[in-house]
Amino acid sequence: MNEPKKVLLAPLDPVHDVGLKLIRKKLMDRGHEAVLLPPDLTPEEIVSRALEEKPDFIMVSRALSYGTSELLAKFVDLCDAAGLRPRTKLVVGGLSMRPEMAQELGFDAGFGPDAPAEAAVDYVEGKEIVSIVGTRPRSKVDLTQGYTYEFSDKEIGDLCIQAAKQLLDWAEERTSPGIRRAQLRLEMEEARSKGRSEDVDNLRAEYAKICSGEVKQWYQTGEPVSHTRPLTRKELKEIELLSEKKDHMQFPVSQDILNDYNVFIQYGTGCPEMDAYHSIVSIAWGARGVVHFDPSWGARTEGLLEQAWSHEHDGTVITLDNLNLIKKALLPGTLWQVRAHRGLNTPETVVLAHLAGADLTKINMVYGSLGAGTDPERLVVDGVESMKLAARYNLPYDVVTNEELCGVPAAKAFAGMLVVATAGVLLGGRPFLQPLFAHSPEAIIAGTMDDNFIDFNVAKMKVLSSIIDAPIWPGAPVGFLTQSQDRCQSSVMTALHAALALDSGAIAVTIASSDEAYAGGPITVPARIDTLKATAAALRFFGKGGISPTAEVDKMACDLRNDILDVLNKLVARGDFVASLYEGILGDREDGAYPGRAGRGTVTLKKV
Amino acid sequence: MSARDRILDGCDLETFIVCDAVEEGKSLGLRLMAELGFDDADVVFCEMGGPGVRIRLRGYVYRPAAEYRWYDQEADSIE
Repeated sequence: MNEPKKVLLAPLDPVHDVGLKLIRKKLMDRGHEAVLLPPDLTPEEIVSRALEEKPDFIMVSRALSYGTSELLAKFVDLCDAAGLRPRTKLVVGGLSMRPEMAQELGFDAGFGPDAPAEAAVDYVEGKEIVSIVGTRPRSKVDLTQGYTYEFSDKEIGDLCIQAAKQLLDWAEERTSPGIRRAQLRLEMEEARSKGRSEDVDNLRAEYAKICSGEVKQWYQTGEPVSHTRPLTRKELKEIELLSEKKDHMQFPVSQDILNDYNVFIQYGTGCPEMDAYHSIVSIAWGARGVVHFDPSWGARTEGLLEQAWSHEHDGTVITLDNLNLIKKALLPGTLWQVRAHRGLNTPETVVLAHLAGADLTKINMVYGSLGAGTDPERLVVDGVESMKLAARYNLPYDVVTNEELCGVPAAKAFAGMLVVATAGVLLGGRPFLQPLFAHSPEAIIAGTMDDNFIDFNVAKMKVLSSIIDAPIWPGAPVGFLTQSQDRCQSSVMTALHAALALDSGAIAVTIASSDEAYAGGPITVPARIDTLKATAAALRFFGKGGISPTAEVDKMACDLRNDILDVLNKLVARGDFVASLYEGILGDREDGAYPGRAGRGTVTLKKV
Repeated sequence: MSARDRILDGCDLETFIVCDAVEEGKSLGLRLMAELGFDDADVVFCEMGGPGVRIRLRGYVYRPAAEYRWYDQEADSIE
């Protein structure tokens, strides 16, 4: 037991004294004597009481406003003049107080809003004040753990299994240049790691033959792809320095609440060094995971580059070197997704994700072929191979429904997602369902979100979780088409969507920055922090209180389930998943879905 | 004319400064405001995280009861 101390608690404030009341309770619980003065006393009156009480400590609290610094400095001067020091130690606390500010004002100690009441009591007892800093998870979590992937809705489940088996059987007989390059990449990296340079050269030459456009040109002539340049030695060294520093970095304690959730951000500034900084800053402010965003041309060009490249435009080039550089900024507990979903390099990207040590990937043949420009036949063949690779590498992946952004109704998008996810499960994989959690064009036209943004989003979550026991990770990002260029509005919309999704049973969410609706240039780091701060605040606000939809949600969910069933019935009746993509069963031209052309005619039957 | 004179009261600048400590970040922030010509500047908020600080800087052009110049240069208004 410490020697009991006498503490005079003085709210140097017209009203606020709740912090001091809490400290009084903690002091008394630990056997100290605490005298709490009423609010709104002048500094002179507090000093006068201190001379009567002869306390060991005077703790004043103050919410900062105009002239506060002068007031607190005056209080310290008065204590000195009255001879209270050094017998009595002076402590200040308040919402805007920081330890260094207290020191500047002449106090012996200061406590800010992040300091628990126990810290002030520890100080009274002479214990060392440990600076209050945040922590971030040091170990990874498996977001798919505990999900059985069993269908609760047998009617829908049976149709999904039929359609999935058909698409797997169809793909089994076919191959593509994308699949061949994935094999070559694996062989090349293995040969490289064993120092077999001649083999590397031969494999590389074969690889180059089945590339296209500027990527092929780079392999053949060494001329860089437009708007890219190699990273400099200085940049490479700076990433190393950042990596060395990351173990000693501070994290804001105000963001620790996000440690209890799985909030992802997307990076892809174009430059791996900038991405490394964006990633570690986002992790510092509570992001549990980061998602690699690649350039759109990467999806439409056959082949991926090698070495480390910076790109002047949106999206960071996928190469093993670039991925390895960005990884240096991540913490041991950071979940890292390298997206492979939409283009001509899908299988190879899964291979690179595996080689770089990523935790997650993204595979979707429906969105990629109806909304992102890749030929459906090609993407189904490549997508199936990618799911096989992901299962082999134990890489979970999400199946996104961004075709909703084109205008495809949720029922069609969900039917496609469920079939693809079922195929993934049949191949031994662990897919996430990734519904769009946004103000989708369908909802805008149908008016299902005219009153609020809650009901239709919750209906989607209810439907999916009533169909199959699979992890749901909405995005990506949540809140699409609700954000504006105003950073406050944008941050609030992102935070509310994230809180709603997590409250509705999502295992994770991907959030945008407050620059989501700005198209004039790259996202800035402050814009990333904006939405992470807002999301933490929203989660703190709702806590376990939950968000309640209106009674409309059950009807919306019921209608959506019946519409999914209709689409699946049509799909199974057609008996050909790929043909269904071309013919519009999962989204037609009127919906805004257009079968892509990149890679058309490149699928071949496997040689027996 | 000075566009700054048309600011109603103050100008906030929020950014991220790469630094090793919060005090260094604040000092750099105030230097930045001085470089931008804001003589009456303050740090509104500064939080250390990862490789630097997220900082919100405030440059007051007019505090209440100052001599406002919003309408002094109407002839020079931006076309």
